Amino acid sequence: MNYIPFINYYRICIFQIQLLQLETKIMKRISLIIICIVFIGCDRGLEPSKPKLGFAGTIYAMSSWPQQDSIIRLLLFASQIYPLDSTSVYNGLMKLPQRIFLYPSINESLPLGFDSISYSFPLEAGIYNYVGVVQQIDTDFVNKGIRVFRVVGFYKNPENDTLPGTVIVNEYEQIKGINIYIDFYNLVKQPF
Amino acid sequence: MKNKYINILFSIFLFTQFVISQTTRGIIKGAIYDEKTKEPLPGVNIYVKGTTKGAVTNSKGIFEIKKIVPGTYDVRISLLGYNNIIKKIDVQPGTEINLEIFLTPTTIQTEQVIVTASRREQSLREVPVSVSTVTSKMISDRVAVRLDDVVRYVPGVNMTMDQVNIRGSSGYSRGVGSRVLVLIDGLPYLTGDTGEITWETFPTHQIDKVEVVKGPGSSLYGSNALGGVINIITKQINASPEFQYKLFCGIYDQAKYSEWKWSNKTRFNSGLTLSYSGWIDSLGYLLSVSRSVDESYRANDVYHRWGLYSKLSYILSESNNLTLISNVQWRRHQNFFWWKSLNEATRPADKQLNWVVNSTRGNVSVSYNSIISNNFFYSLKGIYHGNFWKDDSSGLSNYVSASHFAQLESQFTYTFSQKNILTTGMLINYDRVFANIFGYRSSIGAAFYAQDEIVPARNFRINAGIRYDWQKIWKDNFHTPLSISPSEINPKLGIMYSITPSSTIRASYGKGFRYPSISELFTSVYESASSLPVVPNEELKPERSNSYEIGYLQLIGEHSSLDVSIFQNDFFDLIEAGVNKRNEIQFTNVTRARIKGFEVGIQYELIKRTLLTNLNYTYMDPVDLTQNVTLKFRPRHLFYGSMELNLSKVQIGLDYRYVSRVETIDEDFVKFAPIIDGDKRVPIKVIDLRTSYNLLSIGIPARLSFVIKNLTNYYYIEMLGNIAPFRTYYLSIEGGF
Repeated sequence: MNYIPFINYYRICIFQIQLLQLETKIMKRISLIIICIVFIGCDRGLEPSKPKLGFAGTIYAMSSWPQQDSIIRLLLFASQIYPLDSTSVYNGLMKLPQRIFLYPSINESLPLGFDSISYSFPLEAGIYNYVGVVQQIDTDFVNKGIRVFRVVGFYKNPENDTLPGTVIVNEYEQIKGINIYIDFYNLVKQPF
Repeated sequence: MKNKYINILFSIFLFTQFVISQTTRGIIKGAIYDEKTKEPLPGVNIYVKGTTKGAVTNSKGIFEIKKIVPGTYDVRISLLGYNNIIKKIDVQPGTEINLEIFLTPTTIQTEQVIVTASRREQSLREVPVSVSTVTSKMISDRVAVRLDDVVRYVPGVNMTMDQVNIRGSSGYSRGVGSRVLVLIDGLPYLTGDTGEITWETFPTHQIDKVEVVKGPGSSLYGSNALGGVINIITKQINASPEFQYKLFCGIYDQAKYSEWKWSNKTRFNSGLTLSYSGWIDSLGYLLSVSRSVDESYRANDVYHRWGLYSKLSYILSESNNLTLISNVQWRRHQNFFWWKSLNEATRPADKQLNWVVNSTRGNVSVSYNSIISNNFFYSLKGIYHGNFWKDDSSGLSNYVSASHFAQLESQFTYTFSQKNILTTGMLINYDRVFANIFGYRSSIGAAFYAQDEIVPARNFRINAGIRYDWQKIWKDNFHTPLSISPSEINPKLGIMYSITPSSTIRASYGKGFRYPSISELFTSVYESASSLPVVPNEELKPERSNSYEIGYLQLIGEHSSLDVSIFQNDFFDLIEAGVNKRNEIQFTNVTRARIKGFEVGIQYELIKRTLLTNLNYTYMDPVDLTQNVTLKFRPRHLFYGSMELNLSKVQIGLDYRYVSRVETIDEDFVKFAPIIDGDKRVPIKVIDLRTSYNLLSIGIPARLSFVIKNLTNYYYIEMLGNIAPFRTYYLSIEGGF
């Protein structure tokens, strides 16, 4: 009976040694596998985006220009959504993925006072169902929301000039001839 | 005539004291070597227990501790990466004890001494929270130009440019208000205005080690320790006079894509550091100057830096010493906030061209340590941190800020017995900001903390603590206070249980908080890199967190270990910048969040003492509970692996870093900045290769290192619109004589 504790102790020692040997083998294999995965998993990461070709054309001013203080900014817009309402305009501009794009940017303006002006609107490939020009008439976003903007002209459907035309942008060439006629006094139907 | 006699008498007194001290006291000196390579070991800490006396070995592995009162002492010899040794030494009057010691390298770091987790020295195995350590060797091996170059490789930590993220705590808060507290020798090192970490201001060559404590540390360190604490511990002054140098030169590789090539000139990142240290009787001194220029791999991103660092250490008596550190950096750099587009990722947006920022940043700290008796230790510390910068942009408003932060604190550690150690302390701080961007603001704070460590049984340890903080912020020169609640109480509880001598289980709970920074409260900017104005919010409340962790440590054999931890951090009133209804950027308390996860770390020797591996994986589930979406700027997976081959003279190392793609970002920031292609991002997969050669074997006291950072030239971002450095080749030489 006196030998039993000793035998148990001996067995425990043998078991621990076996366990250590097993762990050593497992650990070596795990390390090597991880190292292999690391090397195989490497790619180049980010790469330059393809240049955005977008579309180009001319904006013609069909009316006289209003007082300069009533135009905060003049912006081109291209919307993948049509028809629009206040919510879709807000989400299209503010939420990702963006569906409505402005040119030059929300804080910049196209030149003012022109008779006609050529433009080039860089955009990713996609279908743009409503393309036009907006005039920002107020800075009070808080109370008026998107009503600080009004559409003063849009690219017309060649078959029905009361409806907007669709512009399909691809990755290979710039779409030309997207001409827009703006009139500050005979406004087109507002989308919001 | 009277003065002359006084001078003579004083000189005689000093001489007598000198002679008495030489004849009645002893000296411990010697040299320390690596047991395997037999090479001298620089940077080894030698500490005479029960006194404030100690030394650090110079580049030839030599040390000397003078004026030791006769007696029997335990002398601890320690260097991270080696087994610690404690030697009992009997010092006789007027004798000189010469030691020759060989340290054994080890991969197991559990016996290392940690000072941050409980504000006192303790073994890592006694710490109830997860702690990682960065050694001076790791900094040197990786030719780390800035401290964050190595913090990036700490398990559970990732960087979003300059902002450090411990287990997902920080995300990105536009460069202001760190949720990780950075300390220098235990004193806070955040700027007084923006509350940010200025990584590059601290010279990496003067760092002995960096301790990273994961989880809230507010019960000991107060505000900002919401996600964790990073403590930078500075090197001791070498025992013998020594001139040290470090020269590094880095060359950025060209981008693979022609769209990103912007300069035909080779772009360098280089620098030089010179320092001299020595002792005049009981006064140790170190003076270091540094100069570096980073020409960058991107346009409009050149950095010029000049640095001055000094350390004075005065041994007042066997049990009292005084240390004074001053550090200042002048910097002139161009601004690169974000790229023009992914197609022009190495060029900044047009608006940022010609911006130059000049800054002067630095700190002065003083520390007095006293061993009153064998069981009573007392310290008095103070720091002043100044941050002055001027935004010298052409065609845009000039922003200027000057901030002054000062803190004075005292700490008492009383050892009732080895089973009960009480640590208490109190502090006061002062912050003053003068800036056209933040206004003229001021704040005063005070705190008291207490912590008790109890060992009810040999294998069981309890650590409990609580801290009370009071902080008042004024809108002006101490006339109109803000309505923020000034009081915060943060408790903690930690338990350690050793199941067997080789396995330990730990559990901890802690609360954390952060007062909003001056910049989050008061920033008022109408023209900046972003197109929207930034407006103040004086109603901001402090952020808070609750953290829980359970961990298990298993030593496997003599040279391997496994550490597993499960954690949960709950955040309340997280401060984030957003766009309000007036289309202005404003900081608000918006988010209630929870980050749950686990961490596994394995240290293992593939070939005994020759080939070492270190593998760490962290999984996080960061949820914004307010909107039930993934928290912004938090990765879900982190994996860091390293392998090191130690041959007799040469070391070769490989580091791999994987950070999964951040799932959600600040869309408003991308939209309104605007950052073109700002949403483009990929997982981070970076490999660094490093080699070093000890030239001492050929009689030159120097170490040569060659490092290739981002070996595979992988293109990624850490922050929106900021492509990370391309492959860079670094050559460095450092040594001393």
